[in-house]
Amino acid sequence: MRFKFSLMAIGLEVAMIVLFRLFAQYEVAQNTSRQLTATQPPKTDSFLRLYPLFQDVHVMIFVGFGFLMTFLKKYGFSSVGINLLIAALGLQWATIVRGLLHTRGQKFHIGIKEMINADFSTAAVLISFGAVLGKTSPIQMLLMTILEIAVFAANEFLVAEIFMASDIGASMTIHAFGAYFGLAVAGILYRSGLRQGHKNEESVYHSDLFAMIGTLFLWIFWPSFNSAIAEPGDDQYRAIVNTYFSLAACVITVYAVSSLVRQCGKLNMVHIQNATLAGGVAVGTCANMDIQPYVAMIIGSIAGLISVLGYKFLTPFFATTLRIHDTCGVHNLHGLPGVIGGLASIAAIAGGVSTTPTMAMQAAALGSSIGTAVVGGLVTGLILKIPFWEQPHDKYCYDDSVYWEVPRLREYEINIHEYEDQKQLEPQIQ
Amino acid sequence: MLSVRCCLHLLILLVEAAFILIFFFLTSYDSSQKDQKTLLEAYQVLQDFTIMAALGFGFLTSYLRRHCWSTVAFNLFMLALGVQWAVLLDGFLSQPFQGKMIINLSSIRLATMSAMSALISAGSVLGRANLVQLAVMALVEVTAFGAMRLLCKQLFNMDDHQSMMHIHVFAAYFGLGMACCLSKPLPNKVEKDAQAEKFQMATSPTLFAMLGTLFLWMFWPSFNSALLNDANEKKNVVFNTYYTIAVSTVTATSVSALNHHQGKINMIDIHNAVLAGGVAVGASCHLIPSPWIAMVLGLLAGLISIGGSRCLSAGYIMLINAGALSFAVAMGLGSGLLTGLLLKLKIWKAPCVIKYFDDQAFWEFPHLAVGY
Repeated sequence: MRFKFSLMAIGLEVAMIVLFRLFAQYEVAQNTSRQLTATQPPKTDSFLRLYPLFQDVHVMIFVGFGFLMTFLKKYGFSSVGINLLIAALGLQWATIVRGLLHTRGQKFHIGIKEMINADFSTAAVLISFGAVLGKTSPIQMLLMTILEIAVFAANEFLVAEIFMASDIGASMTIHAFGAYFGLAVAGILYRSGLRQGHKNEESVYHSDLFAMIGTLFLWIFWPSFNSAIAEPGDDQYRAIVNTYFSLAACVITVYAVSSLVRQCGKLNMVHIQNATLAGGVAVGTCANMDIQPYVAMIIGSIAGLISVLGYKFLTPFFATTLRIHDTCGVHNLHGLPGVIGGLASIAAIAGGVSTTPTMAMQAAALGSSIGTAVVGGLVTGLILKIPFWEQPHDKYCYDDSVYWEVPRLREYEINIHEYEDQKQLEPQIQ
Repeated sequence: MLSVRCCLHLLILLVEAAFILIFFFLTSYDSSQKDQKTLLEAYQVLQDFTIMAALGFGFLTSYLRRHCWSTVAFNLFMLALGVQWAVLLDGFLSQPFQGKMIINLSSIRLATMSAMSALISAGSVLGRANLVQLAVMALVEVTAFGAMRLLCKQLFNMDDHQSMMHIHVFAAYFGLGMACCLSKPLPNKVEKDAQAEKFQMATSPTLFAMLGTLFLWMFWPSFNSALLNDANEKKNVVFNTYYTIAVSTVTATSVSALNHHQGKINMIDIHNAVLAGGVAVGASCHLIPSPWIAMVLGLLAGLISIGGSRCLSAGYIMLINAGALSFAVAMGLGSGLLTGLLLKLKIWKAPCVIKYFDDQAFWEFPHLAVGY
């Protein structure tokens, strides 16, 4: 682990720097001075407009996704730490790959839009990370980041440039893609030894609360995520409003259904953490279309319903029958709602709200997202299965201590005890 | 408990009353017309700063398992105190003073930045000073920092951006100077063991520290670019910072693993080192013309910071003129030492050594405290 991981990470990093040296440059200053006289709005203007949105996306990627995965009792460090690592590597690699694809191998310029899109690309990897959480090593994650982003960029290029489909909140290209990619990898990496579950694969009280931090940040900033790359004006405005109402409707539905599927009517924290976000995913594709707010709310509610039902019935089915173990349940949070988003956009176009992309294009985009994800995931999974990447032993799955220096003390091992002597609680200062 | 309280409320109420009086007589809001857009921009930057200061710096140092409450809460306290004083101080020092000083969003923004210097220094005396000492420290440090920026402006002809980027060096050495004065050896072995027990990592505090790190990490581009006026330079700064800090994260993680004999990654390393890139690129980043140079800088910062030496100053020395730097260092150290001596006076009733790093000395504690 020591040398393999370090050398690989530093090697990748040096490679990134060399690639940036060869291909990346900033937008040169003469652009702007020319534009001062031109009629089109200067680039710096769009920079200042987009920068807050970019930061919102940044918060979602690093705090949101990172903390969302901290729900396992012994895996908090890896969830946040590896999340940061692969996002930091992924955004550089995504800048390169996307830039090269769009300029057909020429030098490319970096702008705020490229940065937002780079952050978006890492989201796909982080979603897949959720599916294999706890069962992989950091080395495998580095490798998966590199492979997945390459496939992701190709699919995105296909969807946006060839099919010309509309996917403003990237429900299909990020969420459905990331989820099915992750599922395919998890399917290949299935561990028969963990069929009966693992003693570390559960949450404790405080780890669930940490996960809730991630949920809240994701929930708050989701409208920015769906509207970040929309055209300013009506498109962006509609994307924000639709997402906002879809999320709100989703939350109510999730609470209701979560209480309903449990016999004694108690809420399940896993549903609250994850399914409440399904509304944002599902409305993504058609967020900028002229659907009415009530339609967005219907989409959100359906996504919430499906997502909770998925957690309740589909995840156990996947784990036992299909031999795909999905740790975070990304299929229910990103996969199914992403598909719903694609279908909703087809329905919306059938309903006549938009004319530019046709139904066939949207369907093709959905199909290609899922198709490339599954194929890419299977290939990646096979590469990750090579027993060279320091995979954790079955016994040490879902355990930080294999890859991290961990505290000797862990909160959950200490019994809560009440102080008998009140004075102990208020020591005096001399 | 009693001593802190009796000293604290008097002092703080007095200071606060004085602030209110000064604000009443000497300040007014900016009444000039401004267009909506610049206002919104200034407000967004201000928000980023507040998040960095309150959430970022607050949680960054909350990794001591018996000192989390104090860290987060005292941080907020110092921020609130520091901002008020810094607004007044900037008003007195910078504008030609004519009876009333005008407060607008950009002056609050500058003040928040100045107050951050106190938050950074507080890290070096973490757990060893009580709230009164911290309050005094915040006031003195904000004053010293304001004076230093004024001198920088006049002696070295620097603009706001450059002088503000010395904040890390200044605050770090201020903190070091103070820590020199405040550190006391522990009397015997039993107490040393008790102390060591308080330094143990625990899962939740470490995760909270990670939350703080992430907030600093994400908003660092805003921090570095806030004081630049030229939109193009601003853009370059954001890009440079973004890539530098991404690179320093990857590097820091891998070097941290390399450092451990079994290749395990250390969370505390991650907390500090991922930010090194952002600090290192701070002063010069509007001058860097292409991303790869910034990335090399990030790589170096990541490497150095884990190596244990002071990444902050190393990154600086490469980049900015040494005169102003040494000035910042000297100012920081000198005023830090003085403050340290001041804080050492008996009147503050500092917590005794055995109570260091312990929340219980300052807080009403929950009845069911886990792990204590």
